[in-house]
Amino acid sequence: MSNPKVAVISGFGINCELETMAAFEMAGASAHRIHVNRLVNGDSNLEDYQIMAVPGGFSFGDHLGSGRLMGNRLRFGLREQVREFVKAGKPVIGICNGFQVLVKMGLLPGDSEVSLTQTASLALNDSGHYENRWAVLEFDPDSPCIWTKGINRMRVPVRHGEGKFVTDDPTLLDQWAESGQLAARYVDPSTEYPGVSDEVLPYPVSPNQSWRNIAGVCDPSGLVFGLMPHPEANHSTWLGATWTREDTEHGEGEGMAIFHNAVEYAASRM
Amino acid sequence: MDGRQPIPNMSGSLAVHSIEVTTRDLEGLPDARGDSVRSMLAADHDMTVGTVRVSLGYLVKAEMSQEEVARAVYDLFADPVIEHGSKDGRLLDSPEVFPTPPMVAIQVGFKPGVTDNAGQAGLDGLTTLFPHLGGQTQVATTQTYMFWDLPEGTEPAILASALHNPMIERCAIAGEDDCAAARWPSLGFPDRPPAVFAKPAVVDLEVSDEALEEISETGLLALNLNEMHAIQAHYRDPGVRGAREDLGLPAAAPTDAELECLAQTWSEHCSHKIFAARINHKDNETGESSTIDSLFKTHIMSPTLDIQKQVDWLLSVFHDNSGVIAWNDDWSLCMKAETHNSPSALDPFGGAITGIVGVNRDILGTGLGARPIANTDVFCFGPPDYSGDLPAGLFHPSRVFRGVHAGVRAGGNESGIPTVNGAMVFDERYIGKPLVYCGTVGIMPRHLADGRESHDKTPEPGDVIYMVGGRVGSDGIHGATFSSLELTEESPSSAVQIGDPITQKKMIDMIIEARDEGLIQVITDNGAGGLSSSVGEMAELTEGADIDLSVVPLKQPGLSPWEILVSESQERMTVGVRPGDCEAFEDLAELHEVEATAIGSFTDSGAFVVRFDDTPVAHLPISFLHDGCPQLQLESEWTPPENEPLSTPKTDAGGMGDVLRRLMARPNVASKEAWVRSYDHEVIAQSVIKPFCGVGHDAPGDAAVIAPLHGGTQGAVISNGIAPRYSDIDAYSMAAACVDEALRNAVCVGVDLDMIAGLDNFCWPDSVESEKTPDGRYKLAQLVRANRAIDDVCRAYRLPCISGKDSMKNDVTMHGEKISVPPTILFSLIGNHKDVRMAVSSDFKHPGDHIYLLGETHQELGASELAYMFRDECSGGIGGEVPRINPQRNLTMYRALTSAMSQGLVSSAHDCSDGGLAVAVAECCFGSGTGASVDISTLESDCSHLDEWGALFGESMGRILVSVAPEHSDSFFAAMEGNACSRLGSVEDGDTIKVNYSGKEVLRASMRELKQAWKGSLGGDA
Repeated sequence: MSNPKVAVISGFGINCELETMAAFEMAGASAHRIHVNRLVNGDSNLEDYQIMAVPGGFSFGDHLGSGRLMGNRLRFGLREQVREFVKAGKPVIGICNGFQVLVKMGLLPGDSEVSLTQTASLALNDSGHYENRWAVLEFDPDSPCIWTKGINRMRVPVRHGEGKFVTDDPTLLDQWAESGQLAARYVDPSTEYPGVSDEVLPYPVSPNQSWRNIAGVCDPSGLVFGLMPHPEANHSTWLGATWTREDTEHGEGEGMAIFHNAVEYAASRM
Repeated sequence: MDGRQPIPNMSGSLAVHSIEVTTRDLEGLPDARGDSVRSMLAADHDMTVGTVRVSLGYLVKAEMSQEEVARAVYDLFADPVIEHGSKDGRLLDSPEVFPTPPMVAIQVGFKPGVTDNAGQAGLDGLTTLFPHLGGQTQVATTQTYMFWDLPEGTEPAILASALHNPMIERCAIAGEDDCAAARWPSLGFPDRPPAVFAKPAVVDLEVSDEALEEISETGLLALNLNEMHAIQAHYRDPGVRGAREDLGLPAAAPTDAELECLAQTWSEHCSHKIFAARINHKDNETGESSTIDSLFKTHIMSPTLDIQKQVDWLLSVFHDNSGVIAWNDDWSLCMKAETHNSPSALDPFGGAITGIVGVNRDILGTGLGARPIANTDVFCFGPPDYSGDLPAGLFHPSRVFRGVHAGVRAGGNESGIPTVNGAMVFDERYIGKPLVYCGTVGIMPRHLADGRESHDKTPEPGDVIYMVGGRVGSDGIHGATFSSLELTEESPSSAVQIGDPITQKKMIDMIIEARDEGLIQVITDNGAGGLSSSVGEMAELTEGADIDLSVVPLKQPGLSPWEILVSESQERMTVGVRPGDCEAFEDLAELHEVEATAIGSFTDSGAFVVRFDDTPVAHLPISFLHDGCPQLQLESEWTPPENEPLSTPKTDAGGMGDVLRRLMARPNVASKEAWVRSYDHEVIAQSVIKPFCGVGHDAPGDAAVIAPLHGGTQGAVISNGIAPRYSDIDAYSMAAACVDEALRNAVCVGVDLDMIAGLDNFCWPDSVESEKTPDGRYKLAQLVRANRAIDDVCRAYRLPCISGKDSMKNDVTMHGEKISVPPTILFSLIGNHKDVRMAVSSDFKHPGDHIYLLGETHQELGASELAYMFRDECSGGIGGEVPRINPQRNLTMYRALTSAMSQGLVSSAHDCSDGGLAVAVAECCFGSGTGASVDISTLESDCSHLDEWGALFGESMGRILVSVAPEHSDSFFAAMEGNACSRLGSVEDGDTIKVNYSGKEVLRASMRELKQAWKGSLGGDA
C-alpha cells in the first residue's frame, strides 16, 4: 500500500500548515505544502492528491469575516478543481480558519450536488474576542463522517474568535442532525458518554456559545469535514493541557485518531 | 510588480460607493461587537450604556457598475447568513434593520495615510471578484457605533473620545436631535493630501553653535552640539569636498538626506550612545572613583566573549539582528527582544502591533533568515485602577493596557506565532511612558543546501539590493530620532504606525522559501531609520552600496528623497541577491503576492551612495557613517537613597491570611488569565509547558517549554525576569533579581543549565545630567550598578547575553509635569531542554505530596510587594533590606534540582518571587485545587532576625518551592544534599492553607477565597 498524498493548502496568512503536515506524516501519509496560487496558476493540480487539508490560520487577517476572502479565492479561482476533488470521493478537512473557509465557500455543511452555496456561518464568539483554551469534543457515532469514525471523545485546544456555528434557517439544523452531519460537539467532560446536549452549554465548556454546541460538521457524504478546534495541535502526548498531572505513556496524542482515519480511508481506495 | 496595488491620489475622479454591514437580528445571535463596546465602556470608563450596535462601513473608490457593487455586498462584504448589507444607502434608514432610531450614533474612521488593514483586505477581495479593476481602486473602512437607552446626560463627545484616538482617527457624531432627524454621521473618503516633492536641499552648517542646535531641534534630529560639530568638521575636510564636487553634490555642506541619514544612524535608538559613553563614576558609599569606557563593552560584551571561549554553541552574538545559538547539530535558535514605548503611549494598539511584528522581522533578518516560532511580551503600565491626576494628553492606564494588549494579540495571532511567555508589571511611574517589551524566538537550519552556514551573511559587491514587502509612505518618519527624545505634547503623529501582519506573513513565507532555495546573500529588516539604516548597515559588510530612490514603490507619490530614505513604513525587508538569482527571487515574490523591487546594488566603493534617478542625493563614507559619532562623556555619582522603613501591623493567623488575600489581588500578583487567554499560545503545535497549568488550566506556569520539531522531544525553554521595584533601593539588586528570576523560572521546568543564553533589555529614565534632569548623575549611577550586576551574575551562571537593547529616554513632560519610569530591565532567557517529557509544571499534584523550599530565606522585605502594599494602604515606606544575590550558591542548588528532575523525582516546582513564599504556596494550591499545611520554623537562613513577615513575604532570591511524591521524598532529599532544602509540610485535601511557626499558627486562609481575590482584580473582560 503506498502512502496517500495530502495537499496542505498554504498562503495569505494560513499558519498551521506545518503542524497539519506533521500530523498527516505521523499518520503515514505524504504531506505537501501547496500555495493556493500554485493551484491557480497550474503549477500543481489537486487531481494528483488523495486528501486535501485547509489548515488553520488568519487568512487575510480575518478581515471582512474569517475565512471569507480565502473562501472566495477557492470559490472563484479554483471552483471546478475543488468540486471535482469532492465529487471524486476524496477526503477534505478544514481546521479552524480552514473550517471557516469551507463554510463560507459553501462546501460545508454542503449538499450532494456540491453547489458551493453558503448555508451556515461562524459568528463572533459571544465573548466578542479570540480565545485559546482546551475543550472536550464528543463525536456522533452515527455520523457518516469518515474522519471521526470510532472516536468517542477527544481533548483539543480551541483557538479562535469566530467559532459560533449558526444558520439563518433553524430547520436545517434538524436536517443536519438527522443526517449525522453535526459530527463534533463540545461536551461537559464530567458527563458519562454519550453526553452531548442540544442546549447550549455554559461558557467555557462551550467556548463560543455555538448553537447546539456544534464544534465541527461534515457534508452529506461524510468525506468533507471541518471543525473549529485543533486536533493537529494534540499530535503528541506532551502537548496536552494537563499531561504533567497524568500518568502518561508518551507517544501519539489524542488528536491523531482523526488523521489516521482519513489516511487509512484514502489508502484503502488506492 | 504587482499591478493590483493602488496608486493613491490618482483616483480622485472615481466614484465612492458606500457599503454598510451589520449583524442580523437572529435569536441566539448577539451583536458581539456591540456587547464588547458596552463592556469596555463599563470597565475602562465607568460608563453604563444600554444597547450598543455596531455597523461596519466600506468606502469603495472604484470604477464599478451598480450591478457589480450589488454583487460585492453579499459575495464579499457581508455574510449572507448572519449579516445585513446595504449599498449606497444607510442601514440606519432601514426600519427592518433598526426599527427605532438610536439616541446617539458615532462614526469612526482612519485619518488619511493611516494603515487600514481591513481596507486593504477589502481591496484584495474586490480584485478576486473583479479582476478588471484598475490600480486606482481604494477601500477605506469605518465603524458606526449606535446607542439606545443611554442614561440621561450622556455626552456624545465623551462617548466619542472613548471610541477613537484623534491622533490616527476621525470621528463624526450624531447627537439626539440629529438622530431624530435621521442626520447620520458620515465620514468622507480619507484622501491623502498631495505630498510635495522637494529636491535634495542643502543644509548650511557654517553657522553659530546656537544655530547648529536649532537645526537639530527643529529637524527632530536629536543630535547634540558635539555631534553637529563632528558633522561640520567632516564637510570641512578638503578630501571630502573634492569627492563631493566630482559627484555633483554640494561640496561644503550636507544635503538634507545626508543629515537625516546621519541623525538616524547616530541616534541613541540605533547607536546606543549612553552605553558606549565614557563615564566618570563616583561612589560616595565606598569612595570609588573610576572611569568606565563603554558600559556595553565592559559589562555586557566582555562576559559573553569570555564564555564564548568555553562553549561551542555561541554562533553569533551582538552584531546581527538577534543572537544565535547552536541548539543541536541541525538547527540553531535565535532570540531578540525590543521595546516600542513611545509609539505605544501615543497609540497603544498601533504602537504595540508595530512592536511585535517589528521584532518578528529582527528574527527574519537574522543570518540568512530565521523563522519566528515564539513570542514573549512583557508590559509595564500604570495601575489599571489609577484614580490620581492624569496630565492632559495621556491616556488612562487601563486604556493603554487594553490597546497594547489588543495590538500584541492581533500581531502575534495573525502572524501565527504563539505568545508563550510574558509578564505584566504595574507602577504609577509607567503612566507617562508604558514599557512594551516584545520578544521573539526563531529557528533556522544550521546549514543550507548549498553548504552555507545560515547564521552568516554573505554579501558580495555586485549583489542586487531588493526592498521586499510593504511600500514606503510618509508614516513612520522620524521614529528612531523621536524615540531618542522625551515625549511631549508636540510629539509628531507621523511617528505612529499600524502594523500589517498579513502583508508581513506573506513576506515571511516568501523569504523562508527563498532562503531554503539559496537565493539570499544578506538580509535585514527595515525598522528604525528605514532604508538609510538597513542599506547603510549592510553596506558596512561589502564597504559600499549604491541605491536609486526613484524606483522605490510608494504609498503616495510626491515623497521627497530624504523622506523615502528614512521613512520607517513597516513590513519591509532589505535583501541582497546575486544577479543570477534575481529572476527566481522575483518569481517567488510574485507567487506569494509580495512586492520585491530592485533598488540598487552593493559595492566596494567605500561609500553609501544615494541617487534619485540622475540626481545625486547622498554620498556618505561608510567609516564616517558608522564610526564618526563622537563618544559621549558622562558623569555618574552613587549615594544610596533613603527610604522610610516598612511598617508591619500586629495581627493573628486570620489577619495574616487576609494580608495574603489582599496581596493576591495586587495587580502585580493577580492572575492575568483573562488577558493571556486571548493570545494564541499553542499555534505551531509545540507548546509543552504553557502559560497555564493545573487541574483547571488556570494556575500560572513559570517558563515556557516548546518542542519545535514535531514529534521530537528536544525542547527549548523561554523565560523572563523583571523586578523594577528594587531600583528604589538599589539597581544592582534589581538587575541581579532580573537575571535570577529568568533563570529560576527556567530551572523550575528543568532547563539544561549547560546551554542557557540571555537578552538584556534596559529601559531607563533620562540619565544625562541637564537642566531637565538634575538627578542625571544618580540615574546614571543606577545604570552603572545594574550593568555591574549583569556582569557579575551572568559570569557566575555562565549565562552569556547574546543580544540586547536599550531605551534610554523613558520620560514624559506634559504641560511642565515630568514623569520618569523607574529604571527597568527585562532579562529574557532561552535555553535547551534535553527531553520535554521530563519537564515539570508549577501546580501541586496530589494531596500527601511533600513540600520543600529550596534556597535560603532572609529578612529581605525592602521594596517587596508587601512593602508597597502597606505603603499604598497608607502605612510606612518601602525601606529595608533589598534581596541580595549569591549566584554561586544558587547555581549549585539549581544544578542539583535539575538533576533530580531528570530522574523524575520532582512533582512540581514554582519560583518564589513577588509576594514571596506565601504567594508561591497559594499559586501551587490553585493548580491542584487543594490546601496545604506548612511549617516555616525549619526555613534555612543565615540571618538571626528572620520573623514571620520575612519568612512568608520576603523575596529572597534563589528560592524554589517544590513538591515531591512521598515515595521519592528520601531520594530527593539525598539528591539535594549540600543545598538549603527545608521540608515545610504537605499538600492537603480540602480548602485550607495554614502556616505554623515555632508551634504557633501564623497564617490561615481559604484557598478558594485567595483564588477569587487573585482572579478577580484583573479578571475583566479582555
